[in-house]
Amino acid sequence: MKRHLILEDGTVFEGLGFGAHATTFGEIIFHTAMTGYQEIITDPIYDGQMIVFAMPVIGAAGIHAEAYESVKPAIRGMIVHDLAEVSVNRQRRMNLDRFLKQHNIPGLYQVDTRKLIRHLRETGPQKATIVDFADDHAVDQLVATVLTNKQVQNTATLKPYANPGRGRHIVVIDFGLKHGILRMLGDYDANVSVLPYTTSVDEVLTLDPDGIILSTGPGDPRSLPDSVLTLIRVLQTKAPLLGIGLGHELFALANDATLAPLSSEHHGMNHPIQEIISRQIFFAMQGQGYAVDNDSIDRKKLFVTYRDLVDGAVQGLRHREYPAFSVQFFPDAAPGPLEATAVFADFFETVEDYVEHHS
Amino acid sequence: MANKEVLDNASLQRALTRITYEIIERNKGGEDLVLVGIKTRGEFLAHRIADRLEQLEGVRIPVMAIDITNFRDDIPDHHDDLGLNQAERLNISEKNIVLIDDVLFTGRTIRAALDALIHIGRPKTIALAVLVDRGHRELPIRADFVGKNIPTAQNEKIKVFVQEIDGKDAVEIVH
Repeated sequence: MKRHLILEDGTVFEGLGFGAHATTFGEIIFHTAMTGYQEIITDPIYDGQMIVFAMPVIGAAGIHAEAYESVKPAIRGMIVHDLAEVSVNRQRRMNLDRFLKQHNIPGLYQVDTRKLIRHLRETGPQKATIVDFADDHAVDQLVATVLTNKQVQNTATLKPYANPGRGRHIVVIDFGLKHGILRMLGDYDANVSVLPYTTSVDEVLTLDPDGIILSTGPGDPRSLPDSVLTLIRVLQTKAPLLGIGLGHELFALANDATLAPLSSEHHGMNHPIQEIISRQIFFAMQGQGYAVDNDSIDRKKLFVTYRDLVDGAVQGLRHREYPAFSVQFFPDAAPGPLEATAVFADFFETVEDYVEHHS
Repeated sequence: MANKEVLDNASLQRALTRITYEIIERNKGGEDLVLVGIKTRGEFLAHRIADRLEQLEGVRIPVMAIDITNFRDDIPDHHDDLGLNQAERLNISEKNIVLIDDVLFTGRTIRAALDALIHIGRPKTIALAVLVDRGHRELPIRADFVGKNIPTAQNEKIKVFVQEIDGKDAVEIVH
């Protein structure tokens, strides 16, 4: 049936409903990735958001057991140009429409996504709602809605858990972890302990980690308590540390850099990224609304290791004194080009080196 | 029997990158840093590390290459010649030296290099960076920065290839 997308600035787009027939509110952003819609809509970094896909046809790959980035999708809505009703998933157990219905997430298709994305590129992300009727009442409702800033609390684990392996012991601090990180750690047979972000320094050190990962996660890192930054300041001196996505932003904040919202957010895998030290250029999945403010970096503490070649945004940092580093992009390649997975190789080589020198 | 590749091009680049980051970690500010490459391949690796430091810091760290042949303990007649002319010989007194070689094996090359360095000056510190540590030391020498530890049998040979003279970057075990 015909439904409507209303933006906070009053713009209305028409489309046809799919997925759940529900009314939804969220922050609307657009994503330019041409593959991996299932990973994207299940990635906890998009908690509370509605995603417009630039890729004109979405749904043809169905829903696969191996392509979940979290057990439950956290998005609030999905807007596409064309919905592929026929799934090529060989098991044909699940398609996108049924998946969204199951999770009570509404979708909208037959939307002029090119016009919508051009509009969002101008305005930046804003509040939006998917409703049946675009009347004054719906607009009032939207304006009155206050979106949560508790996305990390919504998605991160409340209790510690293990993902056992026989290799190095890696502690992951969970801010809304995506499965790709655990999958990569599994490739190295790491013995993983996932801890809540409210964990204390002692709780981490008691576990005697060989390495520490600050996970990806949703939202604005500045909405997290200062205790997180204190935790990072101590942990970075104790064992090799890798921050990813939100973890990178927190690593920067813990070392006195500041963040600024991007004028044009990065959600996709079409930006060339340069590793400064080797001048090598590669592509990786990105999902960021903020970037580390280049001028705020204290060069006595940190230096920039990767840069986005489209807008120059900082994509990686490294500490001058400790084996601690971070990347803004997602090196777990779920979805995304595989080139960036070398970041995990770097991390594990650093861990081996650290264990060698400290045992 | 075919050679076995133990480091491909990409992992060799990553190893050099990691060594560079570790050198930064342990030499705050990079002042008074001098890289000394042991000829032949250590020299090229030293320049690669200097290139990487320059990319990050915008400063060119001095690089010196030394030929340690005349300091070897299996050559009876030393004549203390580093194979450097006056212009190539850097002042290393009170400097922090990172000595760079491709493979660390018995440690005898490094001992000779230490002898050669101390022959021309009195550095503040000397650290050792190697692309490959293959074990089987005969002297009490340990590397500070290791690209890759490769456990080997005594009779195996490790061959490091560098783009500059070998046409590719790789490390292979030669049987």
